[in-house]
Amino acid sequence: MDEAPGLSDQYRTASPWPVFIALGIPISELGLLFGLFPLAVGGLLLFGGSVVGILKESGYVTSTIRAVTALAVIFLAFGAGLAFTDIALVTRGYAVIAAAILLAVGGIVFELFVREQRQTF
Amino acid sequence: MEVNGQLALTVLMGVFLIAVAAWLARVEDWRSYTPLAGGGTVGGTAEQYVSEEKPSGVIRWLTTVDHKDIGMLYGAYALVAFAVGGLMVVLMRIELADPSMTLISNTFYNSLLTSHGITMLFLFGTPIIAAFSNYFIPLLIGADDMAFPRINAIAFWLLPPAALLIWAGFFPIPDVIPAQTAWTMYTPLSAGVGSGNQMNAGVDLMLLGLHLSGVSATMGAINFIATIFTERNEKVSWANLDIFSWTILTQSGLILFAFPLLGSAIVMLLLDRNFGTMFFSVDGGAILWQHLFWFFGHPEVYILVLPPMGIVSLVLPRFAGRRLFGFKFVVYSTLAIGVLSFGVWAHHMFATGIDPRLRASFMAVSLAIAIPSAVKTFNWITTMWNGKIRLTTPMLFCIGFVSNFIIGGVTGVFLASIPVDLVLHDTYYVVGHFHYIVMGAIAFAGFAGLYYWFPIYTGRMYQVTLGKWHFWLSMVGTNLTFFAMILLGYGGMPRRYATYLPQFATLHQVATVGALILLVGQIIFVWNFVQSWLEGREVQDGDPWDLADDDLVTAEWTWFERKLETAVTDGGEDETELATDGGQTVDDADAESADDA
Ligand code: HEM
Ligand SMILES: [Cu+2]
Repeated sequence: MDEAPGLSDQYRTASPWPVFIALGIPISELGLLFGLFPLAVGGLLLFGGSVVGILKESGYVTSTIRAVTALAVIFLAFGAGLAFTDIALVTRGYAVIAAAILLAVGGIVFELFVREQRQTF
Repeated sequence: MEVNGQLALTVLMGVFLIAVAAWLARVEDWRSYTPLAGGGTVGGTAEQYVSEEKPSGVIRWLTTVDHKDIGMLYGAYALVAFAVGGLMVVLMRIELADPSMTLISNTFYNSLLTSHGITMLFLFGTPIIAAFSNYFIPLLIGADDMAFPRINAIAFWLLPPAALLIWAGFFPIPDVIPAQTAWTMYTPLSAGVGSGNQMNAGVDLMLLGLHLSGVSATMGAINFIATIFTERNEKVSWANLDIFSWTILTQSGLILFAFPLLGSAIVMLLLDRNFGTMFFSVDGGAILWQHLFWFFGHPEVYILVLPPMGIVSLVLPRFAGRRLFGFKFVVYSTLAIGVLSFGVWAHHMFATGIDPRLRASFMAVSLAIAIPSAVKTFNWITTMWNGKIRLTTPMLFCIGFVSNFIIGGVTGVFLASIPVDLVLHDTYYVVGHFHYIVMGAIAFAGFAGLYYWFPIYTGRMYQVTLGKWHFWLSMVGTNLTFFAMILLGYGGMPRRYATYLPQFATLHQVATVGALILLVGQIIFVWNFVQSWLEGREVQDGDPWDLADDDLVTAEWTWFERKLETAVTDGGEDETELATDGGQTVDDADAESADDA
């Protein structure tokens, strides 16, 4: 806000990701709390995908694949913890694991096929 | 769950995700690489709008990370929540106009009571403060934006889902009823134990929503701490940091310690309710909840009151024609309150039978916290003393704040004394005490800020006469309603009931009349706000309050002045368009009252 007051307008003032991160959290929470498998998976995908998107956009990560994998591993650990330990929330655990796998697959497919195709133009 | 339901959900979720992906594909910057987008050359349109100007229409508001836009979103959100919470309480007050009234059922009364409290504290109080801090802190400290603009946007967007979850019980969803736990959510009731109906999913949804709003507040707090520490302009040192930023910094610190604790306690409660844990059902579980809740709950009341105190400390001197008296001590007292507020929580639990020695120490700290509060009060009064007072609408709200805060604070000091509290606990006296502060002070400071900065965020001036009506109706309504409650409490009227013994009728009716007066005042406010925004007189001058006369201009007005100048030189953007319609018509009607003096 130094000399030109309109300065902040020259920074990037739009990002599509925050809304979806904010939607992903409650949807996955609802799914996990009430044991609604599709909501849990979908919410986590939305959340995970948007987190990767926002990290990529703001330059905190350079490789989509690595970010997606890291997130998928975290989800996987969490899901395994729910499903295979004494906690024994099996369905919910599998929901998180499913989200982890879908996220990883989705990230890789996007990176290998979609992204590349777009860039060849 | 049967297969059909799961299948339907899966399909719904799948369609939703695909829609999201498709929408993102159009909006996100990789659009510029796509031949489909029809956007011309690589790095053309898409590149431009993401880096140089804001997208237009709804998309702009959904995707913005600009602190001013987010401040506006917070403000709009908070005012909607204020209306919802306010209408809820109007229904309750009408029910209480007569002991035999049966406008609403007792259970519905309890539901409204619960939602009113949570809505006002978490969906109105915290967000309206965030509206001011988001818009003005970066301007006041000379930062380009918040330290983490995207986190800022995430924090805001968590709030609409939070509101939907908190209100979910009122929506026509089969088998879901609203929570009736009151905002304090005491176990065992809130754990769904017993023959009541609080095992219902509506309570879980409310808890989830509350949890979400806590996550949002915590994200915002981290952002403000980072911003105030690292984004200040070189010219803004700790020594000349403005008072509003100080209160926001302290508030953010309190949030950082208080809200995660509430979040954890809520998660524990959810686990108790849904997964068979026994945190709050073992021996001492009920008192454990109270400790956890109030360890959050008392700091929460200061989280809500410190920034409004900051607004008053900033605005009140501008219309007293002098600098804030004892600025340093106002800052110190803010910090002192911040620290002490973590040492008083058990004053909400004097009547629970906790160890008397513990009680005494909490009484001592509670009495001590009144000292820094009084320091502030004396500083506001001395600032006005012999000052050149201009009774503008924001100033009236500031003075109203001080007056109501004194009554709210003094009644609080009485409650902090154990013997007095044992008599008054759980009566309307407590309700009167804290409403003097939450309505009489916090909401008043919010209005002071809304009026004071109206020219900055709308480019226009509000209608002065309506502003004054709004103030006086609010002031009279607040004092009528809540003073009657203090008297009701002395008479022994217990809080949280949908009916009462006939001997309390008169005072309850006074309180209801007060609430209706408040309602009329707020309707006037909404009218004034919306109409002036659309067609109020345009502000041409970067210093509409003539602060320069007393050398009291602050950074946000300097920024506004420059914005007006640059808007003129490059022909303005949308501003000029707006000027042609409402601009002139209201002009003469309000011209002479424009100074609002
Ligand atoms: C001057 C300092 C203050 C003191 C000594 C004080 C003291 C107290 C005490 C002892 C109670 C418990 C009454 C009872 O339930 O028996 C209480 C309740 C309450 N106070 Fe204060 N208070 C002060 C300032 C404030 C402020 C600044 C706020 C709000 C921003 C506030 C909001 C509340 C609320 C919401 C309750 C009711 C909680 C509930 O039971 O639902 N107080 N106060
Ligand atoms: Cu307290």
